[in-house]
Amino acid sequence: MRRRVLLGFGLLPGVLGVGFAVYTSAVSAQVSNWPSEPPPQPLPARAVKFPPYEVRTLVNGLQVITVAHHEQPAVSMRMVVRAGSIQDLPGKAGVASLTGTLLDQGTTTKSSEQIADQIDFIGGALGAGSGSDLSFVNVVVMKDSFGVAMELLSDIVRNPAFAVEEIERQKQQTMSSLQVSAEDPDYIAGTLFDRLVYGFHPYGLPNSGTPQTLAAITRADLQAYHKRNFVPNNMILAIVGDISSEEGFAAAERVFGAWPRAAIEPVKVIDPPPSARRIVIVDKPDAVQTEIRVGQIAIPRKHSDYLAFDLAVKILGGEGANRLHRVLRSERGLTYGASASAEARKETGDFVAETDTRTETTGEALRLMVDEISKLQRERVSLRELSDAQAYLAGSFPLTIETPNDIATQVLNVVFYELPVEEIGTFRERVQRVTPDDIQRVARAYVRPDRLSIVLVGNASEFVPQLERVGFSDFEIVPIEELDLMSASLRRGP
Amino acid sequence: MRWYLRLAACLAVSIVASVALTPMQAAVRPPKLQYQITTLPNGLRVILSEDHSTPIVHVSVWYHVGSKNERAGRTGFAHLFEHMMFKGSKNVEPESHTSIIAGVGGQSNAYTTEDITVFWQTLPAHYMPLALWMEADRMATLRVDEAAFRREREVVKEERRMRIENQPYGRLSEIIYDNSFLTHPYKHPTIGSMADLEAASIADVRDFHRTYYVPENATVTIVGDFDSAQALQMVTQYFGRVPKATRPVPRDIPTEAPMTRERRVVVEEAWPLPAVVVAYPITYDGHPDSYPLHVTSKILSDGQSARISRELIYNRRLCLTAFGSGNITEHPNLFYAVCIVQPGQTPEAAEKAIIAEFDKLKTGGVTEQEMQRSQNQWARDYILSRESNEEKAMHLAHAAVIHNDITTADGEFDIFMKTTAADVQRVARTYFNDTNRVVLHILPKGTPR
Repeated sequence: MRRRVLLGFGLLPGVLGVGFAVYTSAVSAQVSNWPSEPPPQPLPARAVKFPPYEVRTLVNGLQVITVAHHEQPAVSMRMVVRAGSIQDLPGKAGVASLTGTLLDQGTTTKSSEQIADQIDFIGGALGAGSGSDLSFVNVVVMKDSFGVAMELLSDIVRNPAFAVEEIERQKQQTMSSLQVSAEDPDYIAGTLFDRLVYGFHPYGLPNSGTPQTLAAITRADLQAYHKRNFVPNNMILAIVGDISSEEGFAAAERVFGAWPRAAIEPVKVIDPPPSARRIVIVDKPDAVQTEIRVGQIAIPRKHSDYLAFDLAVKILGGEGANRLHRVLRSERGLTYGASASAEARKETGDFVAETDTRTETTGEALRLMVDEISKLQRERVSLRELSDAQAYLAGSFPLTIETPNDIATQVLNVVFYELPVEEIGTFRERVQRVTPDDIQRVARAYVRPDRLSIVLVGNASEFVPQLERVGFSDFEIVPIEELDLMSASLRRGP
Repeated sequence: MRWYLRLAACLAVSIVASVALTPMQAAVRPPKLQYQITTLPNGLRVILSEDHSTPIVHVSVWYHVGSKNERAGRTGFAHLFEHMMFKGSKNVEPESHTSIIAGVGGQSNAYTTEDITVFWQTLPAHYMPLALWMEADRMATLRVDEAAFRREREVVKEERRMRIENQPYGRLSEIIYDNSFLTHPYKHPTIGSMADLEAASIADVRDFHRTYYVPENATVTIVGDFDSAQALQMVTQYFGRVPKATRPVPRDIPTEAPMTRERRVVVEEAWPLPAVVVAYPITYDGHPDSYPLHVTSKILSDGQSARISRELIYNRRLCLTAFGSGNITEHPNLFYAVCIVQPGQTPEAAEKAIIAEFDKLKTGGVTEQEMQRSQNQWARDYILSRESNEEKAMHLAHAAVIHNDITTADGEFDIFMKTTAADVQRVARTYFNDTNRVVLHILPKGTPR
């Protein structure tokens, strides 16, 4: 595809309510005789059917999902491992991430360059990496290379070499990236927010590690992590595209079937700290904007309140509603984007409201965000506002099953989070069943405006007086060059 | 993950082709797009492509205006105007377009490039009439309100701060273009300058709408689950009543004189690591040379085995990230390579290594194996970028608007498959010369020189 600089209007919708004009005034009507009229009626609605897919479990415990889809002659494979930075041991943050980047950098029988040569030559693409709860390898090839790709996937997942030279190379890449990230306000705001919310729980530490933890990681750490977690009964494979289900399962059996299952140790991590009010400012004197994050710990994905809580947070700052966008952008022009999201992970989760605004309007923006969070917790949402959010979430369901990979993502999600697969089919009905009472209940249960974690990254000396004027005091200021997420005080030690 | 981390994850290895590489026959040929194209009496172009696999529809309106149409002192205006299109029209309240579409389960947005401004919505198929009606309403009767304009200008200034000024390397593209062009408006960034955004007036808004947001400058594309006859009837009903423009759309854009000697620039930015850029002016999108140039981008940078990835990032560890590719657009643009220099390495070494890669294309050409690889990668991109209705609409509209020839939406596949190693070497010799080269060293603030 052509590379382009795209400047978008922004993903977040505008004001609530019916937006059709019922009168004609203040209009610069270039076309003078343009009719004043209501919007057209919709056509008859069409049935929405979730496309066919199959889920089977091999004898060794590997869960295999197939989605047959024959429009384009391509097949993609998505391998998900139920292991990520949550498995990183204390002092070794970065092990899961480094393992992820090293998977395609050489196996016991193929060098890094041989893997690259092979996948590039067949016009495929290969990517590996990790997050907090999972690691992944994604491969996409044209259908005539499906067999080759499955062999390669199996080799990468089962037999990574972890060659010393490759480890050093990846460490250097990560260190340099961290050096750049250390001056990126968006990255700093995100990682510091997680650190405040989750403390020294692995969710609170940067996935890629820090220069100190990276230096401490050895080849044996990577091998041990891989051996413990990369076992078939801890993995899910989705095969998607221009093949039949039977071909997919047969190929999975061929390349993974003989791999023996192994015991999986449950995750042992410390609890995140109870939520407490903490405001941390990272001072970056040359910043022209302030990055703001406000939120706190909430609930994991597999929680019976998840859907209602997700809707509540969408009313605060998601598609279909978004009070923050209306108040900060549409009404006041303070930002390009303001949003909130429920970040529900495997073990626990949080909600976070975020924006960026010019230095001069930092205090105003923060005040408005915190007030909107308080309002969500304090006031019952109107039926109208809730139904707008529901209309978007339920109505947009067919948009989320358009491409083969969209379909696979839906199935992978329920399998990964161990939710009943029927949930896909009942999604729209479940969304529509949520009531204003449900929203009020979950907002009261999980939103504590007096215990918010707040991060501001920007030119502190310019905006600190504003904060005091709008009622915020008792904050910590850390100069950007002294920030250390591994320290309890968040500052580099003496 | 941030872009530099993502790019850093893309590594490559040495040049030994020790894998048994089975030469493949021509890449798998993807199915052709089925479509119809028609022009209404008022000049509006309409493209329809049915796809009944999911009950949704994508509706886009491409206006053939972008930042290259801006006049001096008004940089950023095309994009600022894009934002104004959400400020309501005769039958649609201000700021409600997005929420109306969301209220029926749809998504909508807009974007501006140097060449085009695009408004789109993807929504459940039975709401297609709503999207068409709303797009026609704002084409014909945009509301223009002083207070809304001032507020939106602040939003766009925040967008500039967010995208360009407040993140490491955010200004990279701006610096490259400012130093590579003298007269053509590609010199300035689509987001514009703060001063020009401030200078824009409400009169500019009215004038821009009258000049460029007219049927003959617009292309409506609909892809998805609909009936073509019914869709055409609706497009005619809602857009057909927008009158034909009374004056032609201006196309008087200054051209760039050819470079005659190398331009070298050293600047400082508050970035953590130095950046080195080597840029060459090239041709326009659709020119016969543009296809070998696309192939060249793949040979240099697609995949870990591509030349720049393997040599500069992997083997020599000169760059944290590096790429070389053509930005091929409606008017002649640039082919450029960028290296973010690793700590301990020098910008001079990076420059030398980048230029060596361009020289190798000229002197040594490319191997048949590299050609085959690039074509297979091209076929993959071609197939994977035609999965969603939105992607199909983009290809169709791009062919119609930028190439003024919708058949290229499919025809380009065969052009690429016929491109040869000799073509790649020929265009390298045509464009990658030391007399038309821009070399930029962008150093961290305070670097001793």
